[in-house]
Amino acid sequence: MTKPQVSYNMATKQVRYEALVKALHADLYRYAYWLCHDKHIAEDLVQETFLRAWRALDSLKDEKAAKSWLITILRRENARRFERKRFEMSEYEEATITDVSATSNEQEIENHWLREKIAQMPEEYREPLVLQVIGGFSGEEIASLLSLNKNTVMTRLFRARNQLKEAVDDEPKLRGLHNG
Amino acid sequence: MDDLQFRRSILADPKTRDDAINAALKSDPAKQKFVQETESLDSKIAQAMNIPVPEDLANKLILRQTLASHQQQKGKTRVRLAMAASVALVMGLTANFMLFSNTYKNLADYAIAHVNHEAAHFSNTDQPKVTLASLNEKMSAFKGSFASTFGTLIFADYCRFDGNKSLHLVFQGKSSPVNVFILPDDQDIEFVANFENSKLQGNSLHFNHSNIIVVGDKNEPIEQWQERVNKSITWSI
Repeated sequence: MTKPQVSYNMATKQVRYEALVKALHADLYRYAYWLCHDKHIAEDLVQETFLRAWRALDSLKDEKAAKSWLITILRRENARRFERKRFEMSEYEEATITDVSATSNEQEIENHWLREKIAQMPEEYREPLVLQVIGGFSGEEIASLLSLNKNTVMTRLFRARNQLKEAVDDEPKLRGLHNG
Repeated sequence: MDDLQFRRSILADPKTRDDAINAALKSDPAKQKFVQETESLDSKIAQAMNIPVPEDLANKLILRQTLASHQQQKGKTRVRLAMAASVALVMGLTANFMLFSNTYKNLADYAIAHVNHEAAHFSNTDQPKVTLASLNEKMSAFKGSFASTFGTLIFADYCRFDGNKSLHLVFQGKSSPVNVFILPDDQDIEFVANFENSKLQGNSLHFNHSNIIVVGDKNEPIEQWQERVNKSITWSI
């Protein structure tokens, strides 16, 4: 009696897991990338996150909360990575950002340029912005994910965008310097 | 709403709208322009943040989970197997201890218990069924033989009683059967030459490899029986 029940539960769990992977792996990967600025580490983080998610999948009751649940796991994984290797990736490394400028059109050059700006932003500004833009989370949700109060989050979001806005407003001059 | 407040709100969240923002937007084209610019900035940011995701990532994630849970399953199976093996081992040892360890510390206790255990099977009026030849065939296991039958032998067979293989002979006695046990010499069991309880009495004889015990009721001349056994038996090497 128990065996078919167990394998039935396993099958349901598998289906849930695969749905979760398909729906959220891209957002999670991007979020991880903006945390660590490294494709491979981002992939490892996502792998580790989903593996932990699988083990704890029964504790996820509300599918709507899945994304913030996964992000919480990923942030914890990322923090662990820093406990292990404090020296690694403490600073943004330019080389790890994909260099697309050689082969692509203007749009991608602009993307690339903006990516560098985003990467150079202080972590405390970038993370709420990534959660808002990629994750689609509200101010309250970001506040609870990052254990901050909402006003702090809104201020950081404002500063993040303001920095990027200023950078973009200065862009022609900067790009002139780049290209010249 | 002053301009700074408005800008802060829009930059914090370009999609945010409340009455104050809507009112400010309506009355001020510059603010409308600011919102448009910010929205366009936001779509650029979104585009820039949308870094390409490795194509096979989803499949990798599913594969890794499948492998991991398979591994886990295998691990569990191994643990379960180990536990089952331990339990089986303990049960085996216990059973071995209970079945084959000697409950009786000496020959007297052993013989009396054996007689009492099987007393119901034998009656003094049973007809003799065992020939000397078949008796000696059985005796060969103990490297001994009898030159003659020295009484009316009504039963002769191997008995495994309390873990000891023995040859159990039952003779007709005066009032109740007389039991003769031929036992391999066992160091765990203490040799007792003479013994009795309220009904039974017995003598033991020690030979090279074996003990022979005679047990009968108190009417039996046990000494005589022992004498007969002793005279009749010859041991081979």
